[in-house]
Amino acid sequence: MLSHSEASEKFISDAERTDWHDETLWFVRAKRDKASKVLPEWEAMREHASQIKDHTLANLGEYLQAFEAKAIANGIKVHWAADAAEHNAIVHSIIAAQGSKTIVKSKSMLTEECHLNDYLASKGIDVVDTDLGERIVQFRNEAPSHIVLPAIHLKKEDVGETFHQHLGTPKGNKDPQFLTEAARQHLRGHFLASEVAITGVNFAVAETGEFVVCTNEGNADMGAHLAKVHIACTGIEKIIPKRADLAVFLRLLARSATGQLITTYSSHFHKPREGQEMHIVLLDNGRTRQLADPKYKNSLKCIRCAACFNTCPVYRRSGGHSYHQPVAGPIGSILAPNIDKKANADLPFASTLCGSCSNVCPVKINIHEQLWFWRQDLMEAGLAPAGKTIGMKLMAFTLANPAIYRIGGSLLRRFSALLNTSLNPWYKQREMPEAPKESFQEWYKKR
Amino acid sequence: MSARDQILGKIEPLEPIKHPGAFQGASEDFDFQASLAVVGARVVTSSELEEIFPGRRRYDKTLDGLSLAEIEVLEIDGEFGVAENGAIWLTEEAMPHRVAPFICQHLVINVKKIVPHMHAAYEELGKVKSGFGLFLAGPSKTADIEQSLVIGAHGARSLTVVIRS
Ligand code: SF4
Repeated sequence: MLSHSEASEKFISDAERTDWHDETLWFVRAKRDKASKVLPEWEAMREHASQIKDHTLANLGEYLQAFEAKAIANGIKVHWAADAAEHNAIVHSIIAAQGSKTIVKSKSMLTEECHLNDYLASKGIDVVDTDLGERIVQFRNEAPSHIVLPAIHLKKEDVGETFHQHLGTPKGNKDPQFLTEAARQHLRGHFLASEVAITGVNFAVAETGEFVVCTNEGNADMGAHLAKVHIACTGIEKIIPKRADLAVFLRLLARSATGQLITTYSSHFHKPREGQEMHIVLLDNGRTRQLADPKYKNSLKCIRCAACFNTCPVYRRSGGHSYHQPVAGPIGSILAPNIDKKANADLPFASTLCGSCSNVCPVKINIHEQLWFWRQDLMEAGLAPAGKTIGMKLMAFTLANPAIYRIGGSLLRRFSALLNTSLNPWYKQREMPEAPKESFQEWYKKR
Repeated sequence: MSARDQILGKIEPLEPIKHPGAFQGASEDFDFQASLAVVGARVVTSSELEEIFPGRRRYDKTLDGLSLAEIEVLEIDGEFGVAENGAIWLTEEAMPHRVAPFICQHLVINVKKIVPHMHAAYEELGKVKSGFGLFLAGPSKTADIEQSLVIGAHGARSLTVVIRS
């Protein structure tokens, strides 16, 4: 597997595309700014949402049980899964009982986290992702590169070619309107035929036992309402205490994500429709471990708006795939090491620690601080990328020894070419300034 | 041990933090029609509606999910609109089938009442009365191809709102 920096190097080798990616996501960030600034209560709402989440995490066990009891009373079947394998087995058993071979699924990062599609494929079940962006990347055998805009790494020419190959659209047609229509027709067939639909969950309400799913396309609803069996998959952290709490979260979510006033559809599933089976799977998969660590528990407050992605100078210029995780960006970089420290040790270093992520986060997660905590933990565990460990030790040693600092400085000023080696990534694709002839100290002494 | 007991067993109660209660201080001066325009819906009078969609179908309980796929224009009643974002609350009681507002090609919604913002909306909703309900804001849309906005992804291709007093 390529590390974040290696994968980013590939991504930025196409300068034009990198600029497009960077500017497009910045444009989405700007829309978020505009949508939030018109509400004088914006900051108060962020604080309010953050407090609701803090309160929920402090009582998560109670709220989960309250949710379970209500949901069961509503006629929803509740399942618990300790890890990804259990989650996938539960989902498979429900589909197998139905005897379906093809099912539809709307966007759910959690099923990406569990690699559900691959698992079901190994059992002979074909999953059709119905979110347009997700269908595009699924055709291409790729993973989503962004949790809200799954195909943001692609240009319309790419989508045109993919649809030409998989849906038989005319070669060379890259008109978004035309391509979206082709996907609409293609997926409608699947919606009408599918007996099982899987959706994600944005919020699960303990007070009422209902869950809310937000989309702009309407694909979650098309699937869920036409299928005989609806399976909703959620992490245990998606619980909120009260129905009225939804007000503040729905106000924050779409404005933070895309600058929209609200997503087109915010569907509240309370009971199965007549004759329908409705399941909800509550997944842990490391979340309780995260919850037990005071340094990292706040990461569970995330509502997956992706504002931290759009604002991140590193994400915008390195693309989602360079994070080699289903959830990329700043939040992904603090979630992933909890699941596998070693495999994701590079991610907390994929940041400038500028703090922009924490500034836009609608639930006020201290993302950049947690990135910094992870760096310390990974260093301590001896898992930090080798170049970083050596560099940092050298730096610490130099800064602690004034004499060596001075000698080192004068050497490097005279032989600045020494810095421009393949060992020093700072020189890659950057114009570095000329080193001055003398140091500040030398100049000062001469006065 | 079941996964349930395992998970609940791992969750230690943390230091208690109070729920902040109801949100106070929401702005009130929102314009429902302006928000509808932002989310891509059009507002017409009832006589204009007759001209645009003379052959539209009204609520009809005999329509099932699949037969609704054949419907061009469906008219249903919303419970209320939300001025801050143009969303309209719909419940399954007002639809022939839960999939109705998604599967028809064009959707018409009648709105009689408007609340200023989402906090007022949930106050208005009070206790859960329906097995399924949703806030619907505008026609189905996507921007998944190069961030170009396309109206009519999987759900209705257009939303027409009639505000009846
Ligand atoms: S961490 Fe905050 S900004 Fe990032 S996706 Fe989660 S809620 Fe949004």
